[in-house]
Amino acid sequence: MKEQIQEILEEARRSIPSCESDKDIEELRIKYLGKKSSLSDLMSKIGTVPKEERPQMGALLNKAKKEIAQLIEQKKVVLHEKEDTSRARGLDVTMPGRPLTIGAKHPLYQIWEEIEDIFINLGFEVAEGPEIESEYYNFDALNTPSWHPARNPQDTFYLKEGKLLRTQTSPMQIRVMEKFKPPIKIISTGRCYRVDKMDPSHLPVFHQVEALLVDEGVTMSDLKGALDSFVKRIFSADTLSRFRPHFFPFTEPSAEIDILCINCNGKGCKLCKNSGWLEMGGAGMVDPAVLEEVGYDSEKYTGYAFGLGIERIAMLRYGISDIRKLVTNDLRILMQFQ
Amino acid sequence: MKISYNWLNELVPTHLDIDEFCEKLTMFGLEVEEVVQLGKNLENIVIGKVVSVEKHPNADKLSLCKVDVGNSEPLSIICGAPNVVKDILVPVAMIGAKLGDFEIKKAKLRGVESFGMICSENELGVSDEHSGIMIIKQDIEPGTPFADAMGINDNIIEVDVTPNRPDLLGMIGVAREVAVMLNTEYEHPEITFEESEVKTKDEISVIIEDSEKCPRYCARMVHGITVKPSPSWMQRKLIASGLRPINNIVDVTNYVLLEYGQPLHAFDYTKIKDKTIAVRTAKDKEKMMLLDDTELKLHSDNLLITDAEHPLALAGIMGGLDSSINDNTKDVIIECAYFDPRNIRASALEYGLQTDSSYRFERGMDPNSLIEVIDRAAQLMQLTGGGEISSGVVDCYPHKIEPKVLPLRVSRANSILNAKMSADEVENYLNKFEFATKKTSEDTFEVTIPTFRPDIEREIDIIEELARCYGYNNVESYFWINRIDNKQKRTVARLAKNHLISLGFFEVNNMSFASPDDLDALNISDDDFRRKVVELANPIGEQFSTMRSTLIPDLLKNTALNLSYKFENFKLFELNRIYLKEREDTFAEPTYLTGVIVGEFYPFYWKEEQRATSFYDVKGVVESILSKIHCTKNITYKVSNQPYYEKNSKADIFLDEKKIGSCGIIKDDVLKSFEIKAPVLLFDIDLSRIIPLYNEKDIRFKEIVKYPPVLRDIAVIAPSDIEVGTIEKLIKSVGPNIIKDVQLFDVYTGKQIKQGCRSLAFNITFQSETSTLTDKYVDKLFDNIVNKLLREHQIELRQE
Ligand SMILES: [Zn+2]
Repeated sequence: MKEQIQEILEEARRSIPSCESDKDIEELRIKYLGKKSSLSDLMSKIGTVPKEERPQMGALLNKAKKEIAQLIEQKKVVLHEKEDTSRARGLDVTMPGRPLTIGAKHPLYQIWEEIEDIFINLGFEVAEGPEIESEYYNFDALNTPSWHPARNPQDTFYLKEGKLLRTQTSPMQIRVMEKFKPPIKIISTGRCYRVDKMDPSHLPVFHQVEALLVDEGVTMSDLKGALDSFVKRIFSADTLSRFRPHFFPFTEPSAEIDILCINCNGKGCKLCKNSGWLEMGGAGMVDPAVLEEVGYDSEKYTGYAFGLGIERIAMLRYGISDIRKLVTNDLRILMQFQ
Repeated sequence: MKISYNWLNELVPTHLDIDEFCEKLTMFGLEVEEVVQLGKNLENIVIGKVVSVEKHPNADKLSLCKVDVGNSEPLSIICGAPNVVKDILVPVAMIGAKLGDFEIKKAKLRGVESFGMICSENELGVSDEHSGIMIIKQDIEPGTPFADAMGINDNIIEVDVTPNRPDLLGMIGVAREVAVMLNTEYEHPEITFEESEVKTKDEISVIIEDSEKCPRYCARMVHGITVKPSPSWMQRKLIASGLRPINNIVDVTNYVLLEYGQPLHAFDYTKIKDKTIAVRTAKDKEKMMLLDDTELKLHSDNLLITDAEHPLALAGIMGGLDSSINDNTKDVIIECAYFDPRNIRASALEYGLQTDSSYRFERGMDPNSLIEVIDRAAQLMQLTGGGEISSGVVDCYPHKIEPKVLPLRVSRANSILNAKMSADEVENYLNKFEFATKKTSEDTFEVTIPTFRPDIEREIDIIEELARCYGYNNVESYFWINRIDNKQKRTVARLAKNHLISLGFFEVNNMSFASPDDLDALNISDDDFRRKVVELANPIGEQFSTMRSTLIPDLLKNTALNLSYKFENFKLFELNRIYLKEREDTFAEPTYLTGVIVGEFYPFYWKEEQRATSFYDVKGVVESILSKIHCTKNITYKVSNQPYYEKNSKADIFLDEKKIGSCGIIKDDVLKSFEIKAPVLLFDIDLSRIIPLYNEKDIRFKEIVKYPPVLRDIAVIAPSDIEVGTIEKLIKSVGPNIIKDVQLFDVYTGKQIKQGCRSLAFNITFQSETSTLTDKYVDKLFDNIVNKLLREHQIELRQE
């Protein structure tokens, strides 16, 4: 019986690779593996084999069957591949499909929307205000001393009529507080202007987001918490931030906000000028004088404010080192932000 | 929990009509789910006495009854209920009566006439009972209206009692709550009766073997009681509360259950072996036959009430058959106990036995009110069935459950509720709830929580009760959001931007400054509003000396730049403010959406011929933006006179007759000024005018029209100077409610068409919202269209 099995197997090995069509292969499948095949016939006669040889014969038969089945499958694949390429005369799947263009939002506005959404999710309202402002809202109401250099025409754009282009989005905070009683929880976003020559880190037109929260019992912890939540969401969950004492006319105490350099993780690099920290913006507890100016009881209410540059955040997020790239509107740049 | 409003008013007069009362109750935290007015639909239903019952000659299961309804002749009524017998009182729905939607009429059943119907409780809406007709057990004159006889003129308030408030599962608890709510008093039933010489403790002994599962067990004896129907006032209340009167003993246990929420059980004294009651856990595989004929195989977690030998009841869930009350019972033991809620819950769940009793025990009853409850039951049994009450209660209460004492800070309550309740107010509220108070300082109380309130476990739980008294609606609302948020603008801007991006546009960001020369390059005239520029006093350079009054120059500059980088076909847009000087010291900053299509609109595709871009490409973009931001109503397009567009390719966009923008092909000389060597299409929209109109909530679902639309084409020869918009409008005007859509699908000018005319073909959709349109009707409308076109504009139907 052993010889018979071997014989069948040899024959199959010869005949299967030489068939030409699905039909041939199916005939061979019936011949070798079908119910009336010689292998099946042998299988049914296994009882005639001496008892001690039976397991060995069974194993041989199964092995032969398996090999033949495998040969048939392989041959089928080969046949189909042939057929596919011949059938594909009308189709080339590598040719481009109908081009449907998609554009992109400007990277700065992508970040702006993201920032707005973070604050909206934190329960802030978004307040917009005029860019052409009065000196009162931009400086006086914000407790800016008359001698403060920011008021100079070397720093601030003035109109011929005497108004100015806001240098920060803070005037909107005054406008909101004038109109509404606490609690106040807003961000003001938008364009701001400062007299600056255009260079890799300055533009005369830039965008800011400022947050303001005024309520009973607001503490510096609330400020730090809000800022931490923000930087962790806009950069990454492990971004560290720190407060550095500073001076702003409308906050007391005031601080500058730094985040641990996202490029070198604090080790020091070109981006952070080897300091390990990146400056992000200003913050502080709203000066009681500002609250009094809008008629709030500064004993009852406290508040915090902080401001961040949107360009700065966009540059850090995308790794843009020259701020002017954000206003060139070169498609070679814009197309990267699809 | 079903509350009879009549009954409640006996306990605590509310002086409120039912709707007002229910509103108050819901706002106090007892949510009213439904109010059923009893007796509302019981007209023409009277009490009848069955005077004879015979078999129906043609139907086995039907009986032929004669029923006395107070008239001279008894009525013949056919009845299918198994329990109809001679001499009972039954409710009879006479001809004309309405049971739900079903009106009783004279009927013929298998050849015999029937003049009414004998009703079941279910049919009358009295209870769910529907296995047979309702049998009235009081002595009432036949002919009496059913509603009057049963006193069914009541409102049944179905209240959703939350699982933490077992005290509200009885009328007294509800009355207590209502009294707090209305700041009034409620009445406890007066319990007085005489006791006999015989001492209860000499007649029965109680042993609690498992005092954890049964902390307290009380028993009382009533001797020589007569089992009979209970008085009508009691039956009425039971029926109103959804229970069926059975006999005075069972009814009293049910009545007291409704009154106090506390389940009771009554045993036939003569069936108690050795006059001993034991409360013990079952032996493994111990068997017991319940009242409802089911046999339980028990185990050691099940708590039983037994006599010296056999189980009498599955504790707190259901009584056994052997010791139950029957018509011959004379001597009754009343059981009133407190069981561990967890054990009852487990056993009830295990055997699938949800009874009125288990429902209450598993929520936790008051262990300290048992004496009052058992006395009340004894009083009512004597009242309804006579007999003598033995003296004293056998009270087995090994470890008294003491009420909790909790501290309460008034300031804490006030700070949580942002309220200003005084200590006196707080104390008054608490006392109304029957929480005893002891003032320990200006701000603090020691509050004793009665054992009927297992839900009060911490200070905060007490504060919740105070909040309900204070009134949730009286708590000040601290308003945070939506005063100034720019959501409307933000939404419109984002919708428009996202839409343009999916059309292949790239957004640009230009600075706000401009050179005055830019306006000249666009040929903008001196009286154009864009000439009212805002000038800077200290610009950083001449080309930045003004604030831009249009976004167009910057976009054209961006175009030139990108063409220089060898981009040939692209689209750009900017959404930003422009700046205008309105008067001497007032300025406007409207937001504009401006875009350009440079080169070809569609990108090159190897499979098709490149398609030339036309004015209609940019108009299509404008139309799609406007529909994306819900601004399609009252939009019209007119030929533009903007100086920077090509002559035959420009349109102004109007919203309610106000110009809000334009679109078109940029003129060659303008392109030249900006050094652009490619065709440029432009759109320029004042978004500030559209933003205030945007309302995301204006999308309302409309039911899909059931009737199929009919489509017809019309081809006409029209003078070339007549605009397609005019023709579309005219076609629609023929059937404003029927003509749903008019779509241009072909325009042709050529040899076959006469000079100065063009051939236009439209697809018209006719559809009615109320019926299927007939061909004849559509033909008529079509003729009207043809006539009107000819009459008003000399437009002719094209002859094929
Ligand atoms: Zn670094």
